Amino acid sequence: MSQEIEITGLNKSFGQGAAAFHALRAIDLTIATGEFFTLLGPSGCGKTTLLRIIAGFEEPSTGVLRINGKDVTGLGPDKRPINTVFQSYALFPHMSVAQNIGFGLKMLGKPKSEIKATVAEMLQLVRMEAMADRLPSEISGGQQQRVALARALAPRPRVLLLDEPLSALDLKLRKEMQSELKRLQTETGITFVFVTHDQEEALTMSDRIAVMSAGEILQLGPPQEIYNAPVNRFVADFIGDTNFLRLRLRVKAVAAGEAVLELPGGKQASARLPASISPPVGSLVTAVIRPEQAEPTPAGQGEMQAVVASATFFGTDTHLHLLLDDAQGFVLRRQNRPDQPSPAPGTKLGLTFAPGALRVLED
Amino acid sequence: MMGCAVARSRFSITRLPGFGLIAILTFVMLYLPIVILVAFSFNEGISQSRWEGFSLQWYQAAFNNSQVRDVSLRSLWLAVTAASFATILATLAALGTTRVGRFPGQTMIYALINQPLMVPEIVTGIALLIFVAAIKVQTGYTGMGYLVAAHTAFCIPFAYLPIRARLETLDHALEAAAADLYASPIQAFRYITLPLMVPGILAGFMLGFVISLDTVVITEFVKSAGQDTLPTYMLGQLRRSVTPEMNAIATLFLALSLMIVTAFFFITRTRGR
Ligand SMILES: Nc1ncnc2c1ncn2[C@@H]1O[C@H](COP(=O)(O)OP(=O)(O)O)[C@@H](O)[C@H]1O
Ligand SMILES: [Mg+2]
Repeated sequence: MSQEIEITGLNKSFGQGAAAFHALRAIDLTIATGEFFTLLGPSGCGKTTLLRIIAGFEEPSTGVLRINGKDVTGLGPDKRPINTVFQSYALFPHMSVAQNIGFGLKMLGKPKSEIKATVAEMLQLVRMEAMADRLPSEISGGQQQRVALARALAPRPRVLLLDEPLSALDLKLRKEMQSELKRLQTETGITFVFVTHDQEEALTMSDRIAVMSAGEILQLGPPQEIYNAPVNRFVADFIGDTNFLRLRLRVKAVAAGEAVLELPGGKQASARLPASISPPVGSLVTAVIRPEQAEPTPAGQGEMQAVVASATFFGTDTHLHLLLDDAQGFVLRRQNRPDQPSPAPGTKLGLTFAPGALRVLED
Repeated sequence: MMGCAVARSRFSITRLPGFGLIAILTFVMLYLPIVILVAFSFNEGISQSRWEGFSLQWYQAAFNNSQVRDVSLRSLWLAVTAASFATILATLAALGTTRVGRFPGQTMIYALINQPLMVPEIVTGIALLIFVAAIKVQTGYTGMGYLVAAHTAFCIPFAYLPIRARLETLDHALEAAAADLYASPIQAFRYITLPLMVPGILAGFMLGFVISLDTVVITEFVKSAGQDTLPTYMLGQLRRSVTPEMNAIATLFLALSLMIVTAFFFITRTRGR
C-alpha cells in the first residue's frame, strides 16, 4: 500500500517566546492510501490544528508534510488535492445545494457538462436528488451534513478531511451517518482522515486510530489494539471503561512480556507486561482489566472475592460496583438475562478472568 | 392576589404615572410639525396657518422653478457620487478591519474612521472652510471637487457601519471552504465574500446617500458660488420668505428620504439573513 500522507517531526506552536503555546509536539505519522484514519482525543488536544495543517490552512512550525510523496510546505489549501468537511459545514448560504456541490469543479475550470454530470452523481451518492435547488437554510442539519460531504467529494480529492462531522447530529442520525460515511469511503476508495472525540465512533469506523492528548500522539494502531492493549493510563481511561487496580509485582519475565501479580486476598495471577516498562519486583504497579473481561463466580471461588456495593441498570447489561477484599473498587459488566436477576447490594461473590485480561500499565 | 404578585415581580414602564401622556406628547412633537408642513404644501392660498382649500399649485410652481430643478439635480448628483466613493472606501476599510486578523492599532483605526460621528459637524465645517479656502487660493480651482471630497469623507462612517456589521457576521469558515475547494483568494472574494457583502454594501450606500442629501453644515461651509444643494438653497430661501412652495419641495424631499430609508429597512431585514 502506498503512503498518502507522511508527517515527520512536526511541531506547531502559536505565539512567540515564553508565551508560545505548543499545540502539536513531535508528530510522526503515515496514512496509507484508501485508509479510514481517525484522530481521537479530548477537546483541545490539537486534532483540528493537525487537520488544518494537512489541509494547508496553517503551516507547521517545524517538520515536513508530504502528500503522495510530495513536500507541500508553502502550498495553499487551493493547491492541495485535499478537501475538508468542516465542523460547521460552512455551506455557502447564497448558493443552492447543487451550486455548493459544483463549486470545487467550477473553480478547477471543469466544463459545464462535466460539472452537471458530477453534481448529479454526487446528489445521488448522498441521496439528496430532490433537494438540488434548495438553499442550505431550507434543509435540515442532517441534510446539510450530506451536502457538505458531497461538496467535498465532488472534485474527487485524494484525501478527505472530516472535522467532527457528526458531532452536531442527534444520536440516531449520527449512527445512520456513521454507516453512510463508511459506505462512501469504501465506494470511493478515497483516504479519509476523520476527527472525533467520541471513542465509540472511532472504534467502530476506523482502520487505524491515533489517540492524542495535549498535542502528542500517545498511541497509534488498529481499534482492537488500542482497546485491548492501551499503552498508558490515559489511553486506557479514554477508550472504553476500565478498572484500575494497584497490585504488587511478584515475578516478572520481561522477555516473555509476562508478570505475576498478587491480587487482593492473596492469590496470584499472571498479567501481560509491555516491553516498554520494567518496574522492580515487589513494587506496586497499576494493572487494568476491562469490566466485561471478568466473570462472577459463587462466593469463595475464583481469583478474587468481592461484595456488591451497588448496581446500575443499562438496558442490555448491568454494571455491578464491587468492593474487593482490600477495599479497592471494581466494576463488573454483566449481561442482563430475565432468568438471572442481578445480585442485591451486600451479596458476596467471586471473580475470575481469562489469562491475558489483566495488563500492567505505565503510570 | 395573583395579579398583584405579577405586577410586583415584573417592572413595567407602562405603569408609571404619566406614561401615556409623555408618549403622546413625544409623538406629537415628532410628527405634528411635519404633518402640518405636508398639509400646507397642498394649500390653495399662501398662508401657513389658514386652510383655504386643496391645490397642487405649489408643486407646479416648484417644478417650474428652474433654480429648484438645478439645486435638486446637483444634490442628487452629489449624493450619488459621494455615496459611491464613500461606499467603495468604506468597503475596503471594512475588509481591512475585519478580514486580515488582528493588528496593532486596530481600535485606533476604527475610531479614526468614525471621526465624523464624534467631531461636532460645525467644527468639521469650519475646519473644512479654512482648509478649502487655502487650497482655492493656491490652485484657483473652485469646482465641485471640494464638495464631493467633503461629502465623501463625511459619509464614510455611515457607509462603513452596516458593511462592517455584515462582514462581522460572515463566518470565516466560508472563505476557508472556498480556498479548500480550489478557489484562489480573488475567486473566493468574487464568489463568496462579495456576494454575501452585498446587503451591507447596499445599506451602506443608502445611508451615505441620505446623509449627503441631508447635510447642510458641511455644504454651507465648503460650497463656492452657484453650488447650492437643495438643503442650502431652501435655507437661503427661508431667510427671505416662506411660501408653500418650500412646503412642496420639503414634502418631495421627505418622500424621497422615506423611500430610501424604507428600502434600506427591507434590504437589511430580508437579505441580511
Ligand atoms: N490560532 C491559534 N492561536 C492560538 N492558539 C490556538 C490557535 N488554534 C488553536 N489553538 C490552541 O491549540 C489547542 C488545540 O486546538 P484544536 O486543534 O482546535 O483542538 P481540538 O480540535 O483537538 O479540540 C487549543 O488549546 C487551542 O486553544
Ligand atoms: Mg476541533
